[in-house]
Amino acid sequence: MNISIVPALKVLRPAAMLVIVVLVGLVLGYWANATFVPGYSPEQPIAFSHKIHAGDNEIPCLYCHTQARRSPSAGVPAVSKCVGCHLEVATEKPQIRLLMSYWENREPIPWIKVHDLPDFVHFTHKRHVLANIECQTCHGPVETMDRITVSSRAVNGSAQVGKPWKMGLCLNCHRENEVVNGTDCWTCHK
Amino acid sequence: MSLFSRFMDGWRKYRKPGYYDEFDYHWTMTIDLDKCTGCEACVTACQAENNIPIVGEEEIAKGREMQWIRVERYWEGEYPNAKLSFIPMMCQHCDAAPCETVCPVGATYHNQDGLNTQIYNRCIGTRACAVYCPYEVRYFNYYDHEWDSPLEQQLNPEVTVRGKGVMEKCTFCIQRIREAKDVAKDDDRRRVQDGDVQPACVQSCPSKALVFGDRKDTESQVYQSMNDPRNYRVLDELNTDSSVFYLKKVDA
Repeated sequence: MNISIVPALKVLRPAAMLVIVVLVGLVLGYWANATFVPGYSPEQPIAFSHKIHAGDNEIPCLYCHTQARRSPSAGVPAVSKCVGCHLEVATEKPQIRLLMSYWENREPIPWIKVHDLPDFVHFTHKRHVLANIECQTCHGPVETMDRITVSSRAVNGSAQVGKPWKMGLCLNCHRENEVVNGTDCWTCHK
Repeated sequence: MSLFSRFMDGWRKYRKPGYYDEFDYHWTMTIDLDKCTGCEACVTACQAENNIPIVGEEEIAKGREMQWIRVERYWEGEYPNAKLSFIPMMCQHCDAAPCETVCPVGATYHNQDGLNTQIYNRCIGTRACAVYCPYEVRYFNYYDHEWDSPLEQQLNPEVTVRGKGVMEKCTFCIQRIREAKDVAKDDDRRRVQDGDVQPACVQSCPSKALVFGDRKDTESQVYQSMNDPRNYRVLDELNTDSSVFYLKKVDA
């Protein structure tokens, strides 16, 4: 009596083909997603332009994001901060009228968060701002963006607009600057 | 340096607990069992501070309780001559921890402060560490636990809410240690001073039975307390070299 594994392999052929097709599909899909899909850049309730404010008019980041130097969160400015200037400045533009409608209705502006970290990462803005690290190091060239797009940083220090943050961004910087115990997991995860 | 001596150096370093020649801080706790009244204030404080879920009666019956610190009770003798003694038990942050050797993904390891870490996002939930732990202080999330409204409003934002399939345990309130280091940097200090950090259990203890601090600081309260003649460590014969010292007068 001959015993052969060939019949068993023949039965498995469709299954093996399916696995190969799925694997190739996954690889292609990952590549296509990374290459062609643009970075996250949601439309905000008010078409606020960082290019006009931080770029053309050179308003410092910390003028509006005041909490960045004293708290873990950089904070989104309150409507009153916007109105502080826009009671006088560019009052006739349609977007400013939209802003004033929020002000008059005493409602916060439902901004959409673009740069978001998972909940198990406890990044603190305070320490990094006090260490004189430029906001653009992680957030990319915000002063050139009309609408904020996610942005990361390559190992060589160049901005990667459209790429989300990964842990390598943090670790590369902590290694380069030789942060004391900066690669311990409990520095950020706790 | 010759190849052999380099190898021996690496070997000696590898054999050192936590692979560190010297710890930066060496966080230690002492628990004075003669002062402990068994009131379980520490348990409640820990539950509130560290977002520990209430698993419910059914789950506890299955042995799936969640308490990073628990107060064990030991009865001696029969009524009316019964005697009750307590022992609060939490992660002992062993310097030669059995749980660290077994984790296949390095989610638990020894860090430079002599702490036994647990990294939730790295944990894949093999539960091997809980099997290896001789103190039975590791707790596993069998479900995604939910907090009944409005209790989710009181979750501590400094602590991750753990999801299903993740092991967790006492961290010596790492969020408070990090906070103290942050404050120390604000004051242009490199070191955290004695008394700057108090885990939730130490803070809540009404009889001040628990003391926490840096063992390397010889002026610290915990250093004096751990050198008390009454000191012993639980399951010391296992050579876990734990960081929690218990003080108890043994009745001869």
